[in-house]
Amino acid sequence: MAERRFSFFTRGQCIVLALLAATPLLDLAFPSIQLSGPMRTVVVYAILALGLNVVVGWTGLLNLGIAAFMAIGAYAFGILTAEVYPFQVGFWWALLLSGAIGAFAGWLLGAPTLRLRGDYLAIVTLGFGEIVQDGLKNLQAITKGTEGINPLPKPTVPFGAAIQSGLEIVGIASAPAATKAAEGVVAASSNWFEISSATPARWFYLYLILLAVVIFFCRNLEFSRLGRQWFAVREDELAARCMAIEPDKAKLKAFAAGAALAAIAGALFASHLASTGEPANYDFQVSILALCIVIVGGIGSITGVVLGAIVMVGLSNVVLPALTQAMQRAGIGSTENVLSSPDNYKYLIFGLALVLMMRFRPDGIVHTRKAVKK
Amino acid sequence: MSSGAPLLEIKGIVAGYGSVEVLHEVSLEVREGEIVTLIGGNGAGKSTTLMCASGVVPLRAGEISFAGERIAQVGGGVRADLLVPRGLVQVPEGRRIFPRMTVLENLMMGAYTRNDPAGVQKDLAHVYELFDILKKRSSQLGGTLSGGEQQMLAIGRAILSKPRLLMMDEPSMGIAPLLVARIFEAVKELNRSGLTILLVEQNARAALRLAHRGYVLETGRITLSDDAQKLLVDPRVLASYLGE
Repeated sequence: MAERRFSFFTRGQCIVLALLAATPLLDLAFPSIQLSGPMRTVVVYAILALGLNVVVGWTGLLNLGIAAFMAIGAYAFGILTAEVYPFQVGFWWALLLSGAIGAFAGWLLGAPTLRLRGDYLAIVTLGFGEIVQDGLKNLQAITKGTEGINPLPKPTVPFGAAIQSGLEIVGIASAPAATKAAEGVVAASSNWFEISSATPARWFYLYLILLAVVIFFCRNLEFSRLGRQWFAVREDELAARCMAIEPDKAKLKAFAAGAALAAIAGALFASHLASTGEPANYDFQVSILALCIVIVGGIGSITGVVLGAIVMVGLSNVVLPALTQAMQRAGIGSTENVLSSPDNYKYLIFGLALVLMMRFRPDGIVHTRKAVKK
Repeated sequence: MSSGAPLLEIKGIVAGYGSVEVLHEVSLEVREGEIVTLIGGNGAGKSTTLMCASGVVPLRAGEISFAGERIAQVGGGVRADLLVPRGLVQVPEGRRIFPRMTVLENLMMGAYTRNDPAGVQKDLAHVYELFDILKKRSSQLGGTLSGGEQQMLAIGRAILSKPRLLMMDEPSMGIAPLLVARIFEAVKELNRSGLTILLVEQNARAALRLAHRGYVLETGRITLSDDAQKLLVDPRVLASYLGE
């Protein structure tokens, strides 16, 4: 088999990344809205859904508990970085370790349960999601219960300080005034690489770069030997066995890979909130949202899943809240009247979107392959 | 036909599922270069015999050797995924292709364990020569092929695993007679190019015409074994399986 070393992004993947990269420009155009902050959640959910896509889209296992792995990632990140714990390993180490812990958790859940098929596996993953949530709520001594672990650190740019001082020596980045001009409306510190809530565009771009890394990882996984194994297992387990593939091992690896990505999404989510938040942040709704992203976007397609995250999370976390705010400012909507605030129509729109997608485009916005009836 | 050394030796195997014993001391051997057919009715244990050889169904007694090496015995054996690289390849019953992969991708899955790109390309060319329809349809999804074409694809995929012994389970099942003839011709051609074949069939007449030797399996026991030509005219076979 001709082995390709690495493949970079497809045209579709470039388009969705460029689409996301353009959002801070909207901040320049409409300074009052400030999309860069809420848009980070789009990136977080895109990574979560890409993790779910490995399991559901590529290996054909229905996982209804992906939020549990997100929670595990978030709490691992919290415990590894928060000041009340002795570790404080910093953003990047915590991110990597969260991914590793997530993979281990995926393996731990998968080992005894992956012999189950279809609906039975779905029920076990669903139960696992609830157990993790309740566990986090009740292990107060470690997880701080419903308070959540906080404060958590923001990301840092690796070698940012060194590059900055290098630039200062060369004379490119000395005056804070120059920085301000470059950043537009954002009142930034003189350090180009410092990320804070005052520099939402930089923070967003850092997350976007991480999303690009995850896409690159997924794309090369898709066409690797392991990716072929997953597809074969999804299509026909017995035939895969006849091709010298061990379905159980392949499934376990898919579960671990998906859980690792979900945990990384969880860690980024916690850093974004500066807190793990309460365990209910990782409830069944989140698993379902991730599943909807995968289905609406295009099951099995990386481009589709990212696009699905832009559409679904963009709608619920960015467009609807912004619209609600704008309407309140204009005096059209009010907090007293629930019907007048678009934010409350979120699930109605999701439900309609799902029904319409299933009716008119069952393979998702971007479909990899037409479903073939056996 | 000069037969070589025994490639597959099945000695007195007993196997079953749960409390049901399906095979009661089945013995057979396939020698290098032969086509051997295992015929018998529904539920006789034909597929189970193949599953035992592939390491999927465990043995309760007896042993199985491949190329002089023991691959299955009571309490274990060689792992199923290690048998394919050694050249023991099965084409499972019922055309188990990968429906949402293209024909070429399906074929390449067969070469999944191999590390010799040049050899793979050569075998791919061989498969395309054998079944030219697969070349025509190489970028089509497997699930869009007809039943006969899917069976050709399943055989082609197995050939890309570079087998020494190809075990085929009911390749004629549910396929148009014209395509069955085409498939059996291909089996003959593969055998001529040096491949040893163990063919499990319900279509006894076609299988016996093709094979060198045959075994008749009845409710888990081998009741007859002889040269295929002799079995074709054996009154017991005629009565039970050839409908005369």
